[in-house]
Amino acid sequence: MDSNTIREFTSSNNVISPDTEQGGDPWKFLKWLNPGFVLPLLAGALFLLLWELQIFHRIFDLKKYQLPLPSAIAEAMRDNLSLLLSYTGYTLTEAVLGMLIGSSCGFLIALAATAWPRWGGGSLTMVAALNAVPIVALAPIMNLWFGDGIGSRAAIVTATTMAAMAINAYKGMAAVDPLALDLMHSYAAGKRAVFRHLRIQNSLPYVFTALKINATASMIGAIVGEFFFSSRGLGYLLSNSIKVAKMPLGWACIVLAAIAGVIFYLVVERLEKVFIKWHPSRRA
Amino acid sequence: MKLNRALMRSRVLPLLVWICGLLVLWEAVSWWLLHVAKTPLAQSKLPYVHEVALTLWQYSGTLLREGGATFGNAGVGFLIGALSGVLLAVLMSLSRTIEQLAFPYAVASQMIPILGLAPIIYGIVRDEQMSRIIISGYITFFPVALNMLRGLRSVDPSALELMHSYAAKPWAVYWKLRFPAALPGLFSGLKIAATLAVTGAILVELMGAQRGIGVIMLRNLYYGPSHTYMFWSTVLVGALLGMASYWLMSLVERLVAPWQPEFRPQGGSR
Repeated sequence: MDSNTIREFTSSNNVISPDTEQGGDPWKFLKWLNPGFVLPLLAGALFLLLWELQIFHRIFDLKKYQLPLPSAIAEAMRDNLSLLLSYTGYTLTEAVLGMLIGSSCGFLIALAATAWPRWGGGSLTMVAALNAVPIVALAPIMNLWFGDGIGSRAAIVTATTMAAMAINAYKGMAAVDPLALDLMHSYAAGKRAVFRHLRIQNSLPYVFTALKINATASMIGAIVGEFFFSSRGLGYLLSNSIKVAKMPLGWACIVLAAIAGVIFYLVVERLEKVFIKWHPSRRA
Repeated sequence: MKLNRALMRSRVLPLLVWICGLLVLWEAVSWWLLHVAKTPLAQSKLPYVHEVALTLWQYSGTLLREGGATFGNAGVGFLIGALSGVLLAVLMSLSRTIEQLAFPYAVASQMIPILGLAPIIYGIVRDEQMSRIIISGYITFFPVALNMLRGLRSVDPSALELMHSYAAKPWAVYWKLRFPAALPGLFSGLKIAATLAVTGAILVELMGAQRGIGVIMLRNLYYGPSHTYMFWSTVLVGALLGMASYWLMSLVERLVAPWQPEFRPQGGSR
């Protein structure tokens, strides 16, 4: 749902900005100077500068080994680049695999819940309950079941991504235009035809919202899963380097995890653009 | 009233059947693993439901106390995070500059695996209580701020014009129009954050703490097969804590913002 918010905000900003800068073409380069772009950039640079100049260390009374400087993090990243990249790939594989399985399961559950509302609705509630189970409680169980290979983390991610997809896709399939439904009825369309031509189409935007939520959630699931039982991956390296007091390396893991998460998210967003071009929210 | 009861029955009965079915399936698979398949560590993998329930009952005092500690810590962080999230949302809705400053970072921070920060925060603070509160608060902060801001902005323009035509003071506009409009968004943010806050609290306990459900979870996991039932009980308590926090938020939502469409009784059977 938060990703949905993000999209709405960005799209609403796009709507507003043409009104605010009526400069015309010659002033196009001024777009880069508009406060919506420059201010946050300046704030970010200032933040990094204060961090580098150890202002935060003085305010919060921190030592350098507790909160490493950005330059130290960059250095740690450069020194261990190949290791970090291979671990990022490993974690990303777990996340993508788990998300694909989890999202398809969630979609099937939503299909069942729409087709047989009385009995399928119960399964939706069960999945929502599963979603409220903390990942940290799932992690040891999945490890017992699937060993400490890639399978257990994929299972954790599967469990955490299923609910968002099931609930969102169900919302999309249920919230069809009543007029369209009446039209289908008047054509004596069967349940199967209604699904094929109406409900699945209608659920696609919701499905992509869920996929975007899941893209970030699955990275969290994979990393938290690796905290416990793993010998590879960003989460493993992160918790391990904290244990042996290599804080810069730990921060480097976080930075890479964030970058990987953003890329994952952008890929899903790109796919959304390709697949639901027809949807009103996507039209310029 | 009669209709309401019929509605309840038609919704509760399938759910009950589902739960009972799953429990029976669990028990059967557990028996099958132990006696037919003879998998190693069968009881650790899927213990008998009745044994877990028995342990849950026997050690309910300990579990309740430790679970309560976890829940309390998560709750404190949650409250702090939610309050600052609401505050930021109001500031962002008041001033365009603040929004331009803070919003890109709010969005970007959603991309950082927040729970991945847990060991780092613990490494910085070195105090379990403090780091738990920070993590729970941090997790709560952004979903609440983003959803609340969307709510504050999504006010019906004609209602806003009406308020203006009455020359309403800005605080009246906020109090009577914008806040009620923001409540559904606020609660969807809170519901996302509530379970995550519990996760964060348990995560810190797993990394090294004195008290909390995560501590006994880890301890019993390391003791091996003899403590299987206790381990599963702690997992169940963790799951229940997560669900309880979600239910609590839904309950509060129902009390505070009862006008939302999903709370209305649904007619028809489509």
